[in-house]
Amino acid sequence: MLKMQHISKVFRTDLVATHALRDFCLEVAEGEFISVTGPSGSGKTTFLNIAGLLETFDQGQYFLDDEDISHLSDNARSRLRNEKIGFIFQSFNLIPDLNLFDNVDVPLRYRKMPASERKQRIETSLETVCLASRSKHLPSQLSGGQQQRVAIARALAGQPRFLLADEPTGNLDSAMAASVLDLLKEINAAGTTIIMVTHDPVLAEQTDRQIYVRDGQISNIASTGQLAEARLVSGA
Amino acid sequence: MRDLGPILRAMLRNKTGAILIAIQIAVTMTIIVNAVFIIQQRNELMARESGLDEANSFYLTSVGFADDYNPQNTTQEDLLALRALPGVVDAIQTNAVPMSGSGWSMGLQTQPGEEFDGTGVAVYMVDEHGLNTLDVELIAGRNFNQQEIRWREPAARTWPDVIIITRDMAEALFPESAIEEVVGKTVYINDDQPINIIGIIDKLQAPWVGWGSVERAMLSPEQTLFNSANYLIRTKPGQRNSLMPQIEEMLANSNKGRIIRDLTTIEDTRERSYRRHSAMIKILLIVVLTLTLVTAAGIVGLSSFTVNKRRKQIGTRRALGATKGDILRYFMLENLLISSMGIALGLALTLGLNMVLVNNFEMQRLDWYYLPFGMAVLWLLGQLAVLGPASRAAAIPPAVATRSV
Ligand SMILES: Nc1ncnc2c1ncn2[C@@H]1O[C@H](COP(=O)(O)OP(=O)(O)OP(=O)(O)O)[C@@H](O)[C@H]1O
Ligand SMILES: [Mg+2]
Repeated sequence: MLKMQHISKVFRTDLVATHALRDFCLEVAEGEFISVTGPSGSGKTTFLNIAGLLETFDQGQYFLDDEDISHLSDNARSRLRNEKIGFIFQSFNLIPDLNLFDNVDVPLRYRKMPASERKQRIETSLETVCLASRSKHLPSQLSGGQQQRVAIARALAGQPRFLLADEPTGNLDSAMAASVLDLLKEINAAGTTIIMVTHDPVLAEQTDRQIYVRDGQISNIASTGQLAEARLVSGA
Repeated sequence: MRDLGPILRAMLRNKTGAILIAIQIAVTMTIIVNAVFIIQQRNELMARESGLDEANSFYLTSVGFADDYNPQNTTQEDLLALRALPGVVDAIQTNAVPMSGSGWSMGLQTQPGEEFDGTGVAVYMVDEHGLNTLDVELIAGRNFNQQEIRWREPAARTWPDVIIITRDMAEALFPESAIEEVVGKTVYINDDQPINIIGIIDKLQAPWVGWGSVERAMLSPEQTLFNSANYLIRTKPGQRNSLMPQIEEMLANSNKGRIIRDLTTIEDTRERSYRRHSAMIKILLIVVLTLTLVTAAGIVGLSSFTVNKRRKQIGTRRALGATKGDILRYFMLENLLISSMGIALGLALTLGLNMVLVNNFEMQRLDWYYLPFGMAVLWLLGQLAVLGPASRAAAIPPAVATRSV
């Protein structure tokens, strides 16, 4: 469902040009659970941002569900993000002034969805993360693990086909991290494709396929699942 | 409008800034609306016409000092000379000049007797050239004729048998009658001295611009025999300025037993008598402008601050599917809510301040349409002020969601 071909991304500042991604190639099939590891600054977040249409790239091609997204307008990219992609961030990114219900409601409000359906989806996804009883609470009243589960509920409510997580357990202790990973596994088992950036090799090992990024390129492949095979075309 | 609920709930968690801005908007609205109302009223006052040919008229004072000074001869000679002068349309001797601030007033009553109240009226003593010099139009009846003009001794207590009054005075005396029917009616001056109204003129203001009945004036067919006399001179268009020194010199030379002084144009007289009004207007305009700018700056400041504070949140919203337009709308809508609270409070304060002004400063009650006008102005001001910060918010890239801590 995701196909990147020879993507390169350069960040230019006044003096230096940083090649965050160079000749980056990757294919991801529907239903995969992929982990991305690599040293700090290697381009993991950049890859995830491009995959999630948060950033543009300088060269190469990117197909999402066979749609070439390089020429889409900003509005079209917003709509695509809203419909197909769910995000989970390292620092949760909940909106501090909104209670859990309203937080989960945020992506739904950017769709023209009737209030009753929104309400039902919010309740269902809060139940999925076992926080239905706290829906009137503010994020600041929850633990980090609970906040990340709210963020997952927010991502789930939109029923995305594609979930992108940038170090979702980076701010959590290992017990909480494990429970978040279990949740992601459940979600993946239900059919959602997941790409997760992580620094934790223990967590990475539990995914279908592991990608190692170094200097803006995929440098070797380690797979545990059957799906890995030759779908991945390493940069030349 | 679909964002209204969450925006309101989020705002209620950060009340202080919003409340301060709302109060500022309320105060601004209160002062702006009342100030504009006062400005408008002063402007209306200042826009009133005196009735004169203001651009082409001036007056001067002739003061006799010689032992053998003869007011009657002097006036006759002066007026003959003035009226014969090329460029002069007409000239009169008069006891008072509109807008000058000083003049005579009397009371006219429709029934004789001390027990009846008179209607106050400004008195202009003129001869048969009065209408032409004052540039007033006779709308009913007739002008004075030469035989009706009398000389008034300084100590005189009696009045001529005929007068001409303004339309406004006619309506005040005889509210039931048509203007034409007022001609020929008798009124009483000094309680019981009868006077016949022979003519009605369209418009002539009393000398006191602050008087509530400034449109009530009468022309009395007489010339004063005082040592000091005013001449009002009306010139052809464009000739006033060149004639003024010429006339001053001519009169000074024609009779050495008097001096000519206080040459004043009607335009200067108007300017002087409305000076306090125009100063007030200027001050209020500055207040309105300053307040508007300060409030706009406050809105820009607060919204810039909240935009900066919410950078990450905005990036997250963008990541979750908000378009630039959605972000722009969020801040515009938030401002609309704050403005509306301020405006609601402002409505009450505006009416309150107006009430205080009505009760203590003889102001008039605010016309209702000033309120929707004030509301619209403040809504617009808020939306314009927030446009910049909101556009900056909309330009925050979605990658901020993952990049910033
Ligand atoms: N906005 C930017 N401007 C300039 N350089 C940037 C920008 N964003 C990222 N970079 C650079 O691009 C490179 C890749 O960054 P990226 O954030 O993708 O790394 P990462 O693998 O996610 O690192 P980490 O594990 O620390 O999160 C880094 O050298 C980084 O400094
Ligand atoms: Mg990163």
